[in-house]
Amino acid sequence: MAGLDASNTAEMAFDLNVVDRSELVVALSGELDITNVERLQSAVSDALDRSPERLVVDLSRLRFADSSGIALWVQWSTLVDEIELREPSPLLRKVIGSMGLSRTLNVTP
Amino acid sequence: MIESPVSDADAEEPTGIEGDGRVVDPRPAAPGRRRWLFWPAVAVGVVGILVTGALALISATQYNHNEHRLLKLRTDDAGSVLGASVPSIQTVLASAASVADVTNGNVQKFTKFIAPYAGPGKQFSSVSLWKLSSPMSGPLTVIGTSPELSTSMNLAVPFFAQVRNASKVAVIGLLHASQPRLGYGFGTPSAGPYVAYGESLLPADRRTRVKNRSSFSDLNFAIYLGATPRAQNLLVGGGSNLPVTGTHSTVSVPFGNTFLTLVVSARGSLAGALPRDLPWIVAIAGLLLSLGAAALTSRLIDRRAHAERLAGSLERIAKENRRLYSEQRSIAQTLQHALLPDKLPTVRGVETSARYAAGVEGVDIGGDWYDLIAMDDQRLLLVVGDVSGRGLRAAATMASLRYAIHAYAAQNDPPATILTKLSKLVSVGSSGQLATILCALVDVDAHRLTVTSAGHLPPLLLSNGSGTYVQSEVGVPIGVSTSATYTSIDVSTPPSATLLAFTDGLVERRGESLDTGLARLRDAATGNHAELDDLLDDLIGQLRHDGAEDDTAIAGLRWLD
Repeated sequence: MAGLDASNTAEMAFDLNVVDRSELVVALSGELDITNVERLQSAVSDALDRSPERLVVDLSRLRFADSSGIALWVQWSTLVDEIELREPSPLLRKVIGSMGLSRTLNVTP
Repeated sequence: MIESPVSDADAEEPTGIEGDGRVVDPRPAAPGRRRWLFWPAVAVGVVGILVTGALALISATQYNHNEHRLLKLRTDDAGSVLGASVPSIQTVLASAASVADVTNGNVQKFTKFIAPYAGPGKQFSSVSLWKLSSPMSGPLTVIGTSPELSTSMNLAVPFFAQVRNASKVAVIGLLHASQPRLGYGFGTPSAGPYVAYGESLLPADRRTRVKNRSSFSDLNFAIYLGATPRAQNLLVGGGSNLPVTGTHSTVSVPFGNTFLTLVVSARGSLAGALPRDLPWIVAIAGLLLSLGAAALTSRLIDRRAHAERLAGSLERIAKENRRLYSEQRSIAQTLQHALLPDKLPTVRGVETSARYAAGVEGVDIGGDWYDLIAMDDQRLLLVVGDVSGRGLRAAATMASLRYAIHAYAAQNDPPATILTKLSKLVSVGSSGQLATILCALVDVDAHRLTVTSAGHLPPLLLSNGSGTYVQSEVGVPIGVSTSATYTSIDVSTPPSATLLAFTDGLVERRGESLDTGLARLRDAATGNHAELDDLLDDLIGQLRHDGAEDDTAIAGLRWLD
């Protein structure tokens, strides 16, 4: 039954890695969308509170992200000095480009 | 009859959900009457009792039958024992008579022969020698006590007549004397002149004490002389009072020239205590089992009724949930509808249309919107936007953006200026929200478009069976930066052109490139020559697959050249 079934959440896993005091690497896999974006947000917010200078978002194993995921990354970009979105899939790269966010989110390569 | 717990529920039916969310049984069992008397339980009990009764009855019948059989066997056994005593009597007397015969009535020889057998404590209380032809003369000699017969000549004479003719020992009962006795008379086989006559004493009270553990200690018996058990012929009895009452068995055994009749009844149970008690054990055990089974059955029925009531409650709760869900969804849709323009402005020279399609999963209101604002009687502002996220927060942001655009349009701000000003209203850092917006200023008479995009997909311009996307330089979505700036592209439109602006729900599919979706839209739109309203409906029908999760807004404008 729609809306009442908690198992509709998309499968998404993430891995936080504090490289050193000034860099945080977040690796995402699976699919990031409205059903699990809050979980990711609360998991990373503590680490962001420690104000790393640099945030690297590793998207090499992320199959899909919708506008709520992209909005979260944009929000992260306002909390750090430098952000890098590393290796998004071609589809995701195109979407970010069509939203005019390639420069803002520093999509690499 | 068990009451059906799931009846047709109407809206007022209690759902069984307490205020704090606990589930309770909303229809408890009827108060005041403890319902344990269900008819299947009663049936089980009755069947059990009937079966028990039948078994107990069979058991009792079997027992009685068995007792009869055993009694008969024991009686026949006892009779054989009695009958077996005859030969020894007969042999002794026959030998004594032979001795007399052979010795011609020699008294000493007779006495010497018979001495071991006659006297107190011996087989006969007395043995006497008689002349067969003259019983009236009395005995020739007596060993032991004086024979009773000698005092009853009226009995002796017919008795000796019997002896004369008998091949078996003749037996006479002398039962009326003070000392009752049995008399046995036997002559010689060759019918000699001498008769040996012995008497055995019977207990004066006609009672014998049977040793406790002998094989007859569990029997009451009475032994009668003759073929029938007549009281005056009672020789001896043992056990309880005489005559033998109740269930008895009778056997008559040959005894000399007469019979002994043995009447036997059982003292207690011949088969033993357990067979006797078995019918009661069966009855009581069966009764308890039947009651237990009935109680268990009624408990099971009760439990099942309870479970069914709970299932009914759960069903009602689920039904209530479904109702609440669809209510919320319809509230969302109503709100969405309220936030979107209900009437599109009319401007001379163009027709306008717009559609909104909600995502299939949504109970929450979405962030997509469209707007058409008449700037003056020749110019229109066409706006399509998409706030990230869902729910009331997205809707509130969407509403404030929409009204802000109206305000800036009223001030005659061009699209780029409108978007630049909007950027200052939303901040993703604090709200977590972004909005993509496509803003197009349409000059109807001049056939010109001024298009600006803040992170939004380009609009599609259709004419003459072909379509192109009006690609301006895409600025960042609203909310990324309060100091964002935007640029526009100016485009001339051919006659009878159609402009379509839409949100990404129309072209995006998971796992598919954006270009594929945009090409699909263009192909569908260029091939469709329907009226503008129908075109929008067709596009939504064709391009949104069943179960699309995302909302879609689409706005269209067509020159009426």
